[in-house]
Amino acid sequence: MRSEQVKENDVELLKAVAARDEAALAELYDRYRVILFGLLVRILNNREEAEDVLQEVFLQVWRRAADFDENRGRPFTWLVTLARSRGIDRLRTLAARERVAVAGTKDETESVSDAASDAFRSEQRGLVTNALAQLPDEQQRPLMLAYFDGLTQTEIAARLGAPLGTVKTRMRTGMMKLRQMLAGKDASFGF
Amino acid sequence: MVHDDYKEMIPMHALSALDASGERALNEHLATCAECRRDLAEWEATAASLALSAKPMEPSPEVREKILNKIRSDKSSSKVLPFPILRRRVWVSIAAVLLFAALLVSVVMLWHQNRELKRENAFYELVTAPGSRIAELSGTSEALGASAKLAYNKTGRAFLIANGVPRAPEGKEYQLWYIVDNKPIPGKTFAPDNSGNGRLEDQVPEAARRSAVFAITLEPAGGVRSPTGAIYLRGEL
Repeated sequence: MRSEQVKENDVELLKAVAARDEAALAELYDRYRVILFGLLVRILNNREEAEDVLQEVFLQVWRRAADFDENRGRPFTWLVTLARSRGIDRLRTLAARERVAVAGTKDETESVSDAASDAFRSEQRGLVTNALAQLPDEQQRPLMLAYFDGLTQTEIAARLGAPLGTVKTRMRTGMMKLRQMLAGKDASFGF
Repeated sequence: MVHDDYKEMIPMHALSALDASGERALNEHLATCAECRRDLAEWEATAASLALSAKPMEPSPEVREKILNKIRSDKSSSKVLPFPILRRRVWVSIAAVLLFAALLVSVVMLWHQNRELKRENAFYELVTAPGSRIAELSGTSEALGASAKLAYNKTGRAFLIANGVPRAPEGKEYQLWYIVDNKPIPGKTFAPDNSGNGRLEDQVPEAARRSAVFAITLEPAGGVRSPTGAIYLRGEL
């Protein structure tokens, strides 16, 4: 029930943003800023760059909210996919300029307490981290390298020193398990 | 490859972890398979859930202000003056200016339509000429709904027509690349209109005329010598 309410509210917000409602964009920002900023810091490992990309993301939301299609996915997925894509683009640009060294595993430098995000998102986060914790490291690690470092399967195989075929199988198995574990919780998920 | 092979690739596509050739092949399949597009939407939701494994973090309060200030400045540029304070003579002047502006817009639109028509005619002449080639480019995960056709004749004169391309951010343009033996040769740039349509005239380098991969990336306006941005469209002969 709750997830449907969240989704419907978010869809309405995106429609309002598409109709040039500034307050709707501000509310969307307030709802998603900690999730998207956490994602961007994790990708870029740099607060300044992450804040810059966060701005770009919401300006893109302002300009492209009309492109959102509620039949194709939920607002959460749309926003996260947009932010992640922008974050990975920036990561590649920075790497190309050799301004940052891209580490295989990044430290999370600072976080807000769960009180800063609402209890519902904290609950979702708990479900995802629990699901990930149930994956063996050999399946979890390549998924993290793909998602947060933007590496392809070939690059992951080289990074981990594992055969490409093995990496492909592990990643696919990991994604299927993750989907199964979260599917049962779909009723309480906002994405 | 058959349908089931593509289905297996979709979870990795949702993570954008496929290599370029796999991504290219899958994008071509996605353009024609509604079942796989539905599958992709579900896998994208699973991939997006990974974002929640990053610790939530609070950005500086200035970020919110900067975003709102920016959109306010966008909006204010389109604001009009309030009516009551204006007198009759001013209204007449404004009406005259508006009439002139409308006339000017009509002339510009006619000129634009004429130019578009000429370009389309040139495109079709080129497509139908003996020895001409056409490459179809498909949107990558960066621009799933995008597509483009690149047609060129024996002399290398080329036209690109792109549709469904996301609007380029300020200071950016899309750039065409001719990739021969894994080496990108820079082409010209374009910025799509508000409907996502882009047009480009270029000269295909001789080395790329027989066989090449064609790609479109997002780059700083005016283009660059080597690609730095993500690939939005890709195709080959």
